[in-house]
Amino acid sequence: MNISPEKVAELEEYAYQIRRLSVEMITFAKWGHIGGSFSMADILAVLYFHALKLDPANPRKKDRDRFILSKAHGSPALYATLALKGFFPLERIYTYCELGGLEGHTDMTRTPGLESSGGPLGMGLSVAVGMALGLRHKENARSRVICMLGDGELNEGNVWEAAMSAGHYHLDNLIAIVDYNKVMAKGFVWDLMSVEPLAQKWQAFGWDVIEVDGHDIQAIAGAFHRARFIQPRGKPVVLIAHTVKGRGVEMAEFNYKWHTHAPEPEVADQMLRELARNYQRPEAGYSKLGIENTKETFYGGE
Amino acid sequence: MAENKPSMNTVEMRDAFGQALVDLGNMYPEMLVLDADLHTSSKAGVFKKSFPTRFIQVGIAEQNLFGIAAGLALEGFIPFPSTFASFATRRALDQITISICFPKLNVKIPGSYVGVATSRAGASHNCIEDIAVMRTLPNMRVADPGDNADLHAVMEAAMQVEGPVYFRITRLTLPKLFENDHTFQWGKGVLLRPGRDISLFGTGMMTSLCLEAADLLAQEGIQAEVVHLASIKPIDCDLIAESVSRTGCALAAENATIIGGFGSAVAEALGDTVPVPLYRIGVRDHFADSGGVGDLLRHHQMMPDDIARAARITINRKSK
Repeated sequence: MNISPEKVAELEEYAYQIRRLSVEMITFAKWGHIGGSFSMADILAVLYFHALKLDPANPRKKDRDRFILSKAHGSPALYATLALKGFFPLERIYTYCELGGLEGHTDMTRTPGLESSGGPLGMGLSVAVGMALGLRHKENARSRVICMLGDGELNEGNVWEAAMSAGHYHLDNLIAIVDYNKVMAKGFVWDLMSVEPLAQKWQAFGWDVIEVDGHDIQAIAGAFHRARFIQPRGKPVVLIAHTVKGRGVEMAEFNYKWHTHAPEPEVADQMLRELARNYQRPEAGYSKLGIENTKETFYGGE
Repeated sequence: MAENKPSMNTVEMRDAFGQALVDLGNMYPEMLVLDADLHTSSKAGVFKKSFPTRFIQVGIAEQNLFGIAAGLALEGFIPFPSTFASFATRRALDQITISICFPKLNVKIPGSYVGVATSRAGASHNCIEDIAVMRTLPNMRVADPGDNADLHAVMEAAMQVEGPVYFRITRLTLPKLFENDHTFQWGKGVLLRPGRDISLFGTGMMTSLCLEAADLLAQEGIQAEVVHLASIKPIDCDLIAESVSRTGCALAAENATIIGGFGSAVAEALGDTVPVPLYRIGVRDHFADSGGVGDLLRHHQMMPDDIARAARITINRKSK
């Protein structure tokens, strides 16, 4: 089921904005994960502005879809998405990592639109399994639980405990997405700890697998449609989304050095201008250039 | 030996746990019990018989057990993820901390097989650090009930607060401390026996041993006050301060390591209020190896005569 070219263009714009805002908040906060935010930006755009049933005016609506970010260090991209969706004012992204502001990793107790709290890798899929079981127990057949995992995160044993249980319970209301950006914090996945053969692993745990280009808006929408409406026949479904870590800005692409790294304001400015050119948008740089974050430093550093 | 042997509970504490689960299950339809392949040992399986559709088996996967519990709590259920205390508080500490305590989810965690007085399984299974670890977690409440009625009351009180609770269960048949209509309040202790020479603060099963120690001390004219503090977090600072204001010294007894555990909590309360000499009874920087319960309690110097001896030493430390 294809979506219209106009819709694709709209989702591209959201993906662009998610990337822009991620750079804005990470630069201003002087902390954050650009690579893993960029790699899932297109997927988040499709989910939040096309595929998921969500109502920012009623964030706890019973038949909403539930999205869990297990790779919670990708919080900038999710915060950007939630702000664009209207869960909280856009200006709030500049409170990222500030006391009382948006938490460095995810804190659901003070961020509208978040469905869970996280940070340590490997834990989100278990929470998603619990939610999917809970929805089944409540006989809520409309909602889906979607869990976004990192690829390096799949090194964690807890992921496979959760995967085994989802297969065991035949949780066909659960959709996992692997942001397979091929790069971990300190290098390539295949160098540090390979997760291959990945599709066969999920299949062996009782899941249906859909592989998709995680930067192709049309393909992501189609894959998600299949995962939601066509494929779930007594099995959970995993989308293995092939992505590029840092996708959007050349210096960050497939570069582990941009896993956790905040750019200097001047570098952020260049990044955002390059991003605009890549998206064929009017060139625009870092909006806070020359505006110092008033964050208190201790002994002159962080 | 004590002159007046207390009457005993009729069943092991773990059986009382199974029954309490069923009692609460009847009152709270949103309550679920989760298990990691230990339900016949922990007696959580009793709930399964009464409510088969509200019992979830997750297999031998404790990290997943607590993650699933978090997810169920997010959907409005009140899950009891049940396993041995050692597997909950060691293996799944990260999940309990970040998936459950950080978002303050309504998960009630029963820790079975606690302390030295549990089984012959040894150091790997006999959990002594759970009090110390669980009470450091923000949002977490911690309780160690002293008998079956107390356990029932703790579980009822757990349902009446929103947020995570950790409570301890031994597999022993313990002396009776309370009648069945006993109630438990978070942050409230119970004065069981007034005295003027030393305050014996007990938690969990150690309160009964403190009472026996008080009998021993009474034979030599020492009047020991015995206070039961099932609520370890929050702890009853007021009662602790009030008691030592009368007695001038204290002893804290726990079926756990004394490092960071209940005795440390009492020490903190004393430091904040009325600092007096304190002796801590419990496991002293050692693993809780295999052994019979009596042998282990003797080995770790946690028996009533050990408590009485420690009380005498502590009374002598009072400033004249």
